[in-house]
Amino acid sequence: MSAIFSANVVDLITGGISFLLTLMVLSYLIGDNPAFRVAVYIFIGVSAGYAAGVAWHQVLFPRLIVPLLSGSLADRLLTVVPLVLGLLLLFKLSPRTSRLGTPSMAFLVGVGAAVAVGGAVMGTLFPQTRASMNALDLSGAGQYWLERLSEGVVMLVGTVTTLVYFHFGAKATASGPQRGKLVSVLSWVGQVFIAITFGVLFAGVFMAAMTALIERLNFIITFLSAL
Amino acid sequence: MNRKSLLSTVIAIASTAIAIASGVLVLAGYFFAQKADGQTSLLTDIRLTLLNWAIILAGFAIFIGILSLFQVHFKKIQKKQKGSVYSLLLIISLAATFLFGLVKPGQVEIVFTTVQLPVEASLMALLTVTLTYASIRLLRHRLNLLSVIFLVTALLILLGTAPLPFLGNIPGLSDWVRPFIAQVMAAAGARGILLGVALGTLTTGLRILFGADRPYGGNK
Repeated sequence: MSAIFSANVVDLITGGISFLLTLMVLSYLIGDNPAFRVAVYIFIGVSAGYAAGVAWHQVLFPRLIVPLLSGSLADRLLTVVPLVLGLLLLFKLSPRTSRLGTPSMAFLVGVGAAVAVGGAVMGTLFPQTRASMNALDLSGAGQYWLERLSEGVVMLVGTVTTLVYFHFGAKATASGPQRGKLVSVLSWVGQVFIAITFGVLFAGVFMAAMTALIERLNFIITFLSAL
Repeated sequence: MNRKSLLSTVIAIASTAIAIASGVLVLAGYFFAQKADGQTSLLTDIRLTLLNWAIILAGFAIFIGILSLFQVHFKKIQKKQKGSVYSLLLIISLAATFLFGLVKPGQVEIVFTTVQLPVEASLMALLTVTLTYASIRLLRHRLNLLSVIFLVTALLILLGTAPLPFLGNIPGLSDWVRPFIAQVMAAAGARGILLGVALGTLTTGLRILFGADRPYGGNK
């Protein structure tokens, strides 16, 4: 009985806090106000505390502390390196000592750059190029070959012109640097494709936001009617 | 050369060497993952070890970021600057959540569902109004062909996605126009953008690995 009662009390308190925070955030609709700021600052604090907890429980404790305390000699030696680099990183907190943390940052940036290069080549360049070629593959299209071909051509034109838009090379002329005529035309077509892409993304985000608004309004009504 | 300057030079050279060496080893581990007999290569083991170290360092970096946040707001409270009450709230909520997470790691999700979820969902809900306002402003202040294409596309997608009250799905829009725009035209643009981003990432990454760019402060 007391367990059910305490569970209900906990539900009521957590629901009440959620309800208040929802109202405080939605109060921004009438303009920036202290209630909105309180909610946002609490949110930032809680998110930072939560992130610190996750970093401790998911990363530092299992990958650093456990091998140091109970790992083999090899494990301990291998864990000393990130421990030293991590401690050096702490010097970044003060501007006077921050350069001592530079080697740690360099390690992070070096590994990050390599991962980014590997990801860009293996995860984007090869698969997307292959997908662009597959769009023009008519095997299995049957009587819909013309539809498949036209879609493939549109996709190819869109992909190439969008890429051309990001080409910022220009020839030096008497009246200043100028793009070639063909590049200018292609990049304009690319701009149209980019505008369409962002329009679709905008619609997607708008629908997600609308869903969130409906869910929040539903939560407010449900909470008030349950009181 | 005085001692301070010498130390800076040594740190800069060592940092550049560390960035290049760690980056090249990790990259080599990606491309030479297996030996000729199909077994995992030594480079893969090195890559995994270096990645593990980087993950640990990222954990440290999160703590340093949070400590920095704490420092900034603590100073604000100390100096009794404008808005220091908000900073106090931030510090209290930060400390309380972290300590709760340390003491009762299994129950920290209650904080997520009570605070983070409603605030994030409400901020997302606010976007409905913000995006509508932004699109109206776009029409009023930057009316050109591209902004019209952008807004008409968004409108067509919105009308074609969900059934309208009393009308249901609009014939032709839901089954032909919307899929063509979203799955062909937008996919083509998105593919171009993705390839552009990947090429940019590749260039930036290689510049770092060659030591041409040193964003970590490797310049003396």
